[in-house]
Amino acid sequence: MRGTMSAEGDESVMRMTWDIFCSVVDNYGDIGVTWRLARQLVAEHDLDVRLWVDDLTAFVRVCPSADVQLAEQCQQGVSVRHWPAEWQPVMPATVVVEAFACTLPAAYVAALASAAQPVLWLNLEYLSAEDWVAGCHGLPSPQGNGVQKFFFFPGFVEGTGGVLREADLLVRRDSFQQDPAAEQAFLRGLGVDPAPGARLISLFAYENTGLDEWLQVLADGSQACHLLVPEGRVLADVQRWLRLSSLHVGAIDVRGALTVQILPFVSQDDYDRLLWCCDFNAVRGEDSFVRAQWAGRPLLWHIYAQAEGAHWDKLEAFLVLYLQGLSPLAQAALSDLWRAWNAGQGMAASWQALQLHWPEVAEHAERWAAQQAARRDLAAGLVQFYLNWL
Amino acid sequence: MIRGLEIRIPHPNPDISMKTAQEMKPNSVALIDGQPWLIQKAEFTKSGRNSAIVKMKLKNLLSGSSTETVYKADDKMEPVILDRAKVTYSYFSEPNYVFMDEEFNQYELNQDDLESVLPFIVDGMTDVCEAVFFEGKVVSVDLPTTIVRQIAYTEGSARGDTSGKVMKPAKLSNGTEVKVADFCEIDDWIEIDTRTGEYKSRAKAPV
Repeated sequence: MRGTMSAEGDESVMRMTWDIFCSVVDNYGDIGVTWRLARQLVAEHDLDVRLWVDDLTAFVRVCPSADVQLAEQCQQGVSVRHWPAEWQPVMPATVVVEAFACTLPAAYVAALASAAQPVLWLNLEYLSAEDWVAGCHGLPSPQGNGVQKFFFFPGFVEGTGGVLREADLLVRRDSFQQDPAAEQAFLRGLGVDPAPGARLISLFAYENTGLDEWLQVLADGSQACHLLVPEGRVLADVQRWLRLSSLHVGAIDVRGALTVQILPFVSQDDYDRLLWCCDFNAVRGEDSFVRAQWAGRPLLWHIYAQAEGAHWDKLEAFLVLYLQGLSPLAQAALSDLWRAWNAGQGMAASWQALQLHWPEVAEHAERWAAQQAARRDLAAGLVQFYLNWL
Repeated sequence: MIRGLEIRIPHPNPDISMKTAQEMKPNSVALIDGQPWLIQKAEFTKSGRNSAIVKMKLKNLLSGSSTETVYKADDKMEPVILDRAKVTYSYFSEPNYVFMDEEFNQYELNQDDLESVLPFIVDGMTDVCEAVFFEGKVVSVDLPTTIVRQIAYTEGSARGDTSGKVMKPAKLSNGTEVKVADFCEIDDWIEIDTRTGEYKSRAKAPV
């Protein structure tokens, strides 16, 4: 029977089953988060996980070994299923996670209501540092069908569901960052060969009119910078600034002190290594934003813009948490930079101001990662939520 | 003597349509798993990527138990159409607030029942409110969308602004704090939107 906890010494009992539903709305945040979560639940919690994805093309981007044609495939221990437009009935799992408020198939919801054993239905929400999150995390959402549904909110403070972090992530990061040969080999594998002493910067962002001024100040600066740009939405802005008619993966262009190099879209594990290699990471959305924090390096967040400017409250809420412990001047420099970037405004002044506080900001990034790592991670939080619910 | 428990049956309405959680307002009732739940409080919040949630405080009208819940803003809920009657606020009799209808029937509600409107209940208020009934029992009271209240205290104008765009805190006689236009003064009467709790404009004293 599906959904039974494995019992020691009883090989006939199957592992506890989880269904994770991911509807790819845009970009790679939905699939990025759910794929990480699914992998971690399998690897660290010995769970039987099905990841239902409605867009396998997006999945293949974050998991290049996957086959876009297969309706069902096993990747790193996760049963990855295509979520078809015309849903075919399946037996529900013990725990069901609808990621980012996606809408489950009606037939699946009906099956939840008639399941032989109670099913825990969780809506895994978006990550936010806002105060209201702790007041909503874990609350029930009674449905008309008798199924028990709850909201699970990721977050950075006590009372929230934490953020995704594999158990050995920081150990692997430290090992990698303390091994120059490993870093060099990884970069060489991507075709990256930075000049000695050059500052490495990764750039993963949405379209941004503020990019021109930032790239110009990097080009005009005295510090050599090597900008690594994985394929993505910001590429057109980079191309415009470079005044090139086309820009492709592998391209390397030099403007003053700035070298710009276009990278392929890499797997999640390689993206982590890229972040660990860089001295500064510009990231976007939710998944890369969290991974950049774990890198323990200074970062710049391009938040997902929302109607009526709702994203500004979220940006400011995170800044309130993240800036704690920095000197007032460093706080001002970093927050000015983040605000300018998200407003699409020029960043020359704020970037230059940040240089004056670079050692402090770099040390702070490490401290922040360590502080957050002391909290329970999101996958463990979900499993504990289930155990408490039983 | 308190009367107020006349039998009033909810309207059976087979054509009733579902509403989204976002459309369900405080003092409305939703049927969830066959149980009538009074929405005592509803807070709309944008969660992420243009989606939203509504955090609700619900009271079970059969058991009297309360709970906090969260819904997606577009989750469908089944509203219960309830009887309503015009009432006015009479007096406070610890621990209840007493309202009276046109036939002098009195209805008692406690602080918990009135959570969403309590900030605007003041002695001497003359607003014509709506008492809400479930199976003959009064369960809540709705205030008019716009009410007029007097400022009990506010600081003087800091900037001399006359545009109404610069706001400052002010207190009503019951201690409720409202942001008002900078030009408002103590004893001024103001209009308040009870759906948002926000100041609308300066007003004439009620007759």
